[in-house]
Amino acid sequence: MLKTDKMMKLIFLPILLFLLFFLIVPLIYMFWQSFKIGNVITIQNYIDALKNVEIRDAFFNSFKVSFVASAITTILAFLLAYAVHFTTMHRHTKKLVQIGITLPMLLPTITYGFVLIYAFGNQGILTRLVGQPLFTIYGYNGLVIGYILYTLPVAFILMQNSMQYIDKRFLLVSMLMHDRPLRRFYHTVFRPMLGTIGGAFILTFILSFTDFGIPASVGGNYRVIATELYQAMLGSIVHFERGAVISVLMLVPAILGVVMLTVLERFNFQYKQAGRSELVKHRLRDALFTGYSILSVTVVLIIFSTMFIVPFTKGYPYDFSFTFEHVQNVLAEKDLTKVYVNSLIVAVLTAVLGVVITFMSALLNARTPLKGRKSLDIASMITNTVPGMVLGLSYLFFFNGSSLKGTFLIIIACNIVHFFTTPYLMAKNSLQKMDPTWEVTAELLKDSWLKTVIRIILPNIRSTIYQMFSYYFLNAMVTVSGVIFLVSTKTMLVSTRIKELQHFAKYTDIFVLSIFILCTNLIVKLGCDYITAHKEKVEEISK
Amino acid sequence: MKKSTVMMLGTVSAAAIVLAACGGAEAGSKDQVIIYSNADDEAIEVMESTLDDKGYKGKYLIQSFGTSELGGKMMAEGTDIEADVVTMASYFIESAQTSKSMFVDISSDLKPLDGSVTYALPILGNVGSIFINTDVLQQKGLPVPKTIKDLTDPAFKDLVSFPNIMDSSTGWLLVQAIIKEYGEQEGQKVLADLIKNAGPHIESSGSGPIKKVKTGEVAVGFGLRIQAIDAKNEGLPIDYIDPTEGNFTLTESVAVVDKEGDETLAKEIAKAIATEARSGLLEQYPVALYEGEQVKAEHVPAYLKKWDTTLTVDLLEKHQAFFKEAQK
Repeated sequence: MLKTDKMMKLIFLPILLFLLFFLIVPLIYMFWQSFKIGNVITIQNYIDALKNVEIRDAFFNSFKVSFVASAITTILAFLLAYAVHFTTMHRHTKKLVQIGITLPMLLPTITYGFVLIYAFGNQGILTRLVGQPLFTIYGYNGLVIGYILYTLPVAFILMQNSMQYIDKRFLLVSMLMHDRPLRRFYHTVFRPMLGTIGGAFILTFILSFTDFGIPASVGGNYRVIATELYQAMLGSIVHFERGAVISVLMLVPAILGVVMLTVLERFNFQYKQAGRSELVKHRLRDALFTGYSILSVTVVLIIFSTMFIVPFTKGYPYDFSFTFEHVQNVLAEKDLTKVYVNSLIVAVLTAVLGVVITFMSALLNARTPLKGRKSLDIASMITNTVPGMVLGLSYLFFFNGSSLKGTFLIIIACNIVHFFTTPYLMAKNSLQKMDPTWEVTAELLKDSWLKTVIRIILPNIRSTIYQMFSYYFLNAMVTVSGVIFLVSTKTMLVSTRIKELQHFAKYTDIFVLSIFILCTNLIVKLGCDYITAHKEKVEEISK
Repeated sequence: MKKSTVMMLGTVSAAAIVLAACGGAEAGSKDQVIIYSNADDEAIEVMESTLDDKGYKGKYLIQSFGTSELGGKMMAEGTDIEADVVTMASYFIESAQTSKSMFVDISSDLKPLDGSVTYALPILGNVGSIFINTDVLQQKGLPVPKTIKDLTDPAFKDLVSFPNIMDSSTGWLLVQAIIKEYGEQEGQKVLADLIKNAGPHIESSGSGPIKKVKTGEVAVGFGLRIQAIDAKNEGLPIDYIDPTEGNFTLTESVAVVDKEGDETLAKEIAKAIATEARSGLLEQYPVALYEGEQVKAEHVPAYLKKWDTTLTVDLLEKHQAFFKEAQK
């Protein structure tokens, strides 16, 4: 048996190499490319890009639309989370909000745009109900609504988590002190939540700023930075240097955002223990929040219902009779089923390998004295900062001409790195909470380190592992921006195929494929949740 | 405890199997010919069914692109392109050959009408025209347009759709007609007004406008004449109108990418597309390209016109700049 120390290094080294080759080096290479014209090193590319009116416009547009969308999202999400945690709404309504609002997460963002077109377009379902278009969906309006739908679940989950840890006994104290409602709200809820609110705002802003799927589908001729980057790399006249410059420009707000997030962390409250105390009933408040919650969920569901109506009607919008014809057509096309299988392969492998890598990284970081383990924290911060499109592009530059180009492997590697942060932090948090003396005890009992990990640590972290798996799987299934530059004919994925179908305006096929993705993700998510919940229950009983 | 070890091992070995399987799948599919195509889905369907009939099923993969996307890829990657066969607007193939010499000789005894080149065979011809949704026109109380200029009437605001010349070669047919008829100065204004009227309905794909006219999302569109004829024959409230500015045409060709001697199957498939699939394509795109081909009278447009010089990518870029200028 190898010595503990050697064993750790043996695990550490491949992870380090992986992160070096698939994160650090490609990014540096791309950065380098942005300074090159031919063989000359210059900042001319940046000057050209900043002089270019279109790029400037796109940058400004992206900024504006993302800002508006994230401001609205933050408010909506806060109210929803408040409704769940600080009102005595019926618990079924609470559950409904928790499920209904997060449901869109199971779909690629590119689908959102098409759903919006079919809901609000000239022939959209809502338009038909009202009689005339409410507003033009293409461009600014569509982007704002799309971004809200996309980021609301993330912001909501963030706020929810934070609110869980707010000590509700303070509410009672405040009430006994005869605080006025506004003062009470400020001191017991708003002030403790300030860090999270800021965090949610920044996070949703970055997500909107760097998303490609929504502008690709509903952007119309409203230019944003993501479509500009796509144009530069895959448009009619290819400008590699311009692409490199735009992606560096895209990185700037992301870096600023992460810096601000670390600053905001100071505002985060740490309650020693979150006391649970019954909330006081308040009819008007509860009724208002129930109304608001149900309205929000209904809007989300109505918008996404188009996805289920269009593929099952014979000839939308002329013939509304029910049919399975379109679904059968899609199933009959071997191309599309193959693309679906590709997506499954990529998602499963991303999830399995991703969990292995993130778990090992977290393990080494949290529970070993290994030298250099802090580098993993830095890696997780970088992966949190780099937008998927930028990462994908850096791969395109770096691996162009290598045998990795056009393989599943490069897509999987990109996904693992792109979504590294969350599963890594999940694992790290769980590992840190475990009794730190286990390893020592096991060692005294002459168990090797590896044995300890397999026999003691793994069984104790099992439910987190399933959650990590589900996170990786879902994201690999729906991502467009990360992989748009990396797919080839043989490695086409469902989410990128939708982009291609858009070219032919084959919306029914798009919706059928989206339903496939949704169902697959639902099965995986429910499966993982069930196992987790089941395990917890068993553990509780055995205690 | 044991159970968890078993589960762990199970997961790992399952992953290994999947890995091996997809490694194997990739090795197995090496002898597939990859076809990059900018053709509309109707044309791709014809190609696919012909190739399948001729026994090439499973031996090829077709990947669709927009004309500009594919053009950009060809110009950027040259012979490094993933594709073995390319079907693409003829002017793009010619320009790519001039600058990258990326295609091999596939000359044969076929006799194209328009001066032939040795490295490409024409496969279909496109004709541009206006089409209308008669229901929507009536509903909105709009007159039936006769010319492209008619569509610049503010009454058509947000009710016109046409393909973008930046992405689609069908869009070029529109710009050619405008420049030829009105010259650069007046043409600029006509195009600018048209862009204003189309608003969000400037499509990246040549098949975008007909779809929007079919669903009634817009009243009038510009696209391929045959798209409207087909829709009309399906019984939809669609009609086609030959604009007096002219029905301009474009051909698309097939070519085989130079893969250093490894092109046997690719050549076979390219020839099958140009010959065996030709009758089906001629039906879909009724423009005679080879000696002895005939088309029905309804398929002969009223104002067939051609650009004076050979179409090249340089000319396209000039016209794209013209379009961008009008967009401002």
